[in-house]
Amino acid sequence: MPRKPTRRRQLLKAQPFTFSSFARVASAYKVKRQIRHSKVYRKSFPNSSGNGFIDHAPPDKSEQSESSDEEEFEGVVQADFAFFDPKPDDFHGVKVLLQTYLDDKQWDLSGFVDLILGQTTVGTVVKTEDDEDDGLYSVVSTLNLGRYKDHKCIMELKECLLKVCQEKDVLDNLRSLLGEQAQNVGLLVSQRVVNLPPQLLPPLYDALFDEVSWATEDEPTEELRNSFCFKFYLLVSRIYKHKNAVQKKGPSSSSDEAIIYIKTEDEIFHQLSSWSFSFPLRTQQLATRELRNYRLMGLVMVVEADKVSMFRQQLQSLINES
Amino acid sequence: MATRLQFENSCEIGVFSKLTNAYCLVAIGGSENFYSTFEAELADVIPVVKTSIAGTRIIGRLCAGNKNGLLLPHNTTDQELQHLRNSLPDQVVVQRIEERLSALGNCIACNDHVALTHTDLDRETEEMIADVLGVEVFRQTIAGNILVGSYCAFSNRGGLVHPHTSIEDLDELSTLLQVPLVAGTVNRGSEVIAAGLTVNDWTAFCGSDTTATELSVIESVFKLREAQPSAIVDEMRKSLIDTYV
Repeated sequence: MPRKPTRRRQLLKAQPFTFSSFARVASAYKVKRQIRHSKVYRKSFPNSSGNGFIDHAPPDKSEQSESSDEEEFEGVVQADFAFFDPKPDDFHGVKVLLQTYLDDKQWDLSGFVDLILGQTTVGTVVKTEDDEDDGLYSVVSTLNLGRYKDHKCIMELKECLLKVCQEKDVLDNLRSLLGEQAQNVGLLVSQRVVNLPPQLLPPLYDALFDEVSWATEDEPTEELRNSFCFKFYLLVSRIYKHKNAVQKKGPSSSSDEAIIYIKTEDEIFHQLSSWSFSFPLRTQQLATRELRNYRLMGLVMVVEADKVSMFRQQLQSLINES
Repeated sequence: MATRLQFENSCEIGVFSKLTNAYCLVAIGGSENFYSTFEAELADVIPVVKTSIAGTRIIGRLCAGNKNGLLLPHNTTDQELQHLRNSLPDQVVVQRIEERLSALGNCIACNDHVALTHTDLDRETEEMIADVLGVEVFRQTIAGNILVGSYCAFSNRGGLVHPHTSIEDLDELSTLLQVPLVAGTVNRGSEVIAAGLTVNDWTAFCGSDTTATELSVIESVFKLREAQPSAIVDEMRKSLIDTYV
């Protein structure tokens, strides 16, 4: 099925493969080309969990692209990732990524995925260039909680968050954000496969926040335009918290971090957040040696929309230095 | 009648359950809703047994069975084997087999008369299948896939196969199996039929993402609309021979 080009008027030049508004801009930044010739795709992050990472020995090979010879597979894979607008065909891929979004609670996940896929103006899915693979590697989107408040999935999500929040002081904040202020709150959904190259993160988040600001100008009705004028972003994510609950920010005797962020950008979001709370998860975590002192917990954060530009800068510098 | 349900947010019903004409196996865990949906449909007619296989919940993909028997992989524990032997009716032969391809549910698709198997199955396993399940065994592929147990689901009355199966293949399989076949999908376009659907002669269970169109195809090819479980016992009783003296 041919993809319809989006209504963006910022055509720089005709792009045969990708129709996403972002991708046209990305090619101007030559990000895709950088990714094309980039080398290692399996790197450990400084603060990452060991969970799910296959740590290939860092290659002291040349940085040239490897030919895809199966017998000599040394851990360097060449891949071209492309960003697309969400389409109904992406249903299964997105659903798999969001399977554990609300822990093991049974909720209208299919409806939630449909909301994400229905919003083509804001939201991005990451796939490989070659269509046959059809594997979806990442999805990011922002849903206005007020616009979708009557959908069963959003109601269940709100109920679930209110139930798991055990910290009294933030509970009132949460209730007001999900209640009266819902019109100003964007639920930022961002899920990806664990080993997605970190170089993709800055463009991915840039795409999201750019699309949000374009939508405030380009949406056909005033109501829709206003629905993208977010004041707050709500994020639901996961972290590993040290079991000894070391709360001190100063240098501690142990060399263990207090919190390990599964997604790198969560650390920046957490620092910039106005408030946040963590909650225990019911699903069992994988017991690895590196993580024996940590417990997997859910994390809910609220970030003010003004902090977005700081986030983008910090993410860019964090990825560039690692 | 076909019922839509979920196992812990997953629509892959055929992974967590195994349904035949004589018994139904259901995975442990998930909410009680999953188990009670099966109970509500089947309790009066056949036993619904909660179990694990090899300590896992993916029982539908690890075992293969019909009304005559049940085949279990080599990594089934002794307790599980005993539990199944105790819970299932006596006429069902429960057998653990030594086969390298331990996901028997993915490798074997069967009804009460015919079985389709993975092309690389051992000869001994093939004989076991014929023996324990009382079926005629054919090594086949479906739309080029060797995991026949995953890409098709069939009962004694009809079958559903991978959507990309060609017409010639459909005809050939239909002749082998002696039931009408249709190529289709389940769970909103998923090609892994047997993972999303589990079926016997009078009822079917499929994932809640299954669209109304898919559901009507399932109900028509498996002839579920008129079927009642009692029909098999009551009306057919006169023509069923219980003992031969």
